[in-house]
Amino acid sequence: MAIRWSRRQFLAALAATGLSLRVPALMAAPGQKAITRAIPSSGESLPVIGMGTWRTFNVGGDEQLVAERTRVLKTFFEWGGTLVDSSPMYGSADDVMGEALDSLDAHDKVFSANKIWARDGSATGEQDSTLRRKWGIERFDLQQIHNLLAWESHLETLKQMKADGDIRYLGITTSHGRRHSDLARIMEQGPLDFVQLTYNVLDREAEQRLLPLARERGIAVIANRPFQGGNLFRRFQSESLPGWAEEAGCSNWAEFFLKFIVSHPAVTCAIPATTRVEHMEENMGALYGRLPDEQQRRRMADYVAGL
Amino acid sequence: MTDADWLSYSLSDFLMFGPEVFLRLFVRINQDVWPWQAIAVVMMVLIAGLLVRGNTAAKRAILLLLAAAWVWSGAGFLMEYYGPINSPATWFGWAFILQGSLLTVAALVCPWERTARRAAQRWQAGTGWLVVTALLPFLVVAQTGNWQSLALFGITPDLTVAASVPCLLMFPRRVRWVFLLLPLLWALFSMATLWALGIRLMLVLPAVTLVLAIAGFRFSPRPAQSPG
Repeated sequence: MAIRWSRRQFLAALAATGLSLRVPALMAAPGQKAITRAIPSSGESLPVIGMGTWRTFNVGGDEQLVAERTRVLKTFFEWGGTLVDSSPMYGSADDVMGEALDSLDAHDKVFSANKIWARDGSATGEQDSTLRRKWGIERFDLQQIHNLLAWESHLETLKQMKADGDIRYLGITTSHGRRHSDLARIMEQGPLDFVQLTYNVLDREAEQRLLPLARERGIAVIANRPFQGGNLFRRFQSESLPGWAEEAGCSNWAEFFLKFIVSHPAVTCAIPATTRVEHMEENMGALYGRLPDEQQRRRMADYVAGL
Repeated sequence: MTDADWLSYSLSDFLMFGPEVFLRLFVRINQDVWPWQAIAVVMMVLIAGLLVRGNTAAKRAILLLLAAAWVWSGAGFLMEYYGPINSPATWFGWAFILQGSLLTVAALVCPWERTARRAAQRWQAGTGWLVVTALLPFLVVAQTGNWQSLALFGITPDLTVAASVPCLLMFPRRVRWVFLLLPLLWALFSMATLWALGIRLMLVLPAVTLVLAIAGFRFSPRPAQSPG
């Protein structure tokens, strides 16, 4: 049957298409808001999908790649993302992030998270200052101690910086499942706003102690390596999603992996990293729609384990 | 950190960039130095010609050309392009400049003698060196599918090092290790990086260096080739 459109209908459809291209979040999940979680120490809401820069934003002085990464960041903001996490360990990533934020004039859109990565425990303020200059911001929303390196000294300085208003939140990070017992000890002792750890559908050690502890102590959790550094896609992308994935709110593997993570009640945010706009769009799809319930989460983990 | 923590790291955990960014380095430097690649080509042809001549002045000139190639690839590719994404590359850049300086001193100070090889052997050595040095750069093109990623001698480190090692065999064994140490270290570093990045085809470049350098530690030239 041929559909006959009036001129008014055609123009309205054209305008809607144009709007959807400019503001993807509007069309990502009609009638639904981005999924957010509260930071326990303040109650401030954060979108559950953030963005990492590990191995993706370290492009040196390559103007072509800087422009491509800027488009990735632009897409992230357009879909409603806010938290961007980086580290001085990631080569030129902080310089590139600063350039991208400048290009997009997006300093007020970003929830800026970075790390102190220095063996010298007295270098906290100096490194924070260098990173602020690179990002072109007055202060970081979140400053973390990278991989527990010289954490005692850095933590004392970060506490003072928070008290002085030089940072809004403080945290500590680990990855690859390392030093969980040390991290648990620090979580039990100190006043932390955030912890960052590796958590994904295959790396689930954090469920045993760290995630329950974070809930108990009121600490926000950032999950890094949500795709296990890309391994999850390499291993499972050739497999088809289970038929019940739609019921769990997942229409592709990126949403499957990310929604598994952020549906854990202790997790505040996951930080996938990517170099491509289309992958960023897939990742940000996990910011909308349903989240799997506890039974569906178990089914997701069992399904992946069985592949 | 415990031993178990260290063992949980893989080679790729130490790399903060992906293959795309690395392979773009070759394209970028070629775009930026264009059309001065011609100098690198002239240097290659000159070295091949000098290998054929084989007299004292030729040996000194070869070492001076190699010195220029090491400094150019160290200060350019390693320090300007590679260093910003991988800090050990900057340290290697300084080492390349030092190697270039040592080669310059060796060229000017050592009392070189004419090679003992016959003319036909020298011709084979010169043309063989030129053919291999001219073909190896296409490995990067084969990897990327982009002609602009040609990795030329004098501009990119792997080619500079691989092409230098056969020429460094003119040094007597007792001092040769000084000049082969950096090629060996570079080859190991480069192989580890390429392996972690999954760039298998380009592994041939440091592998050539590694084999030649190890052979160079054992190979003993005829006395007439050595400086006195």
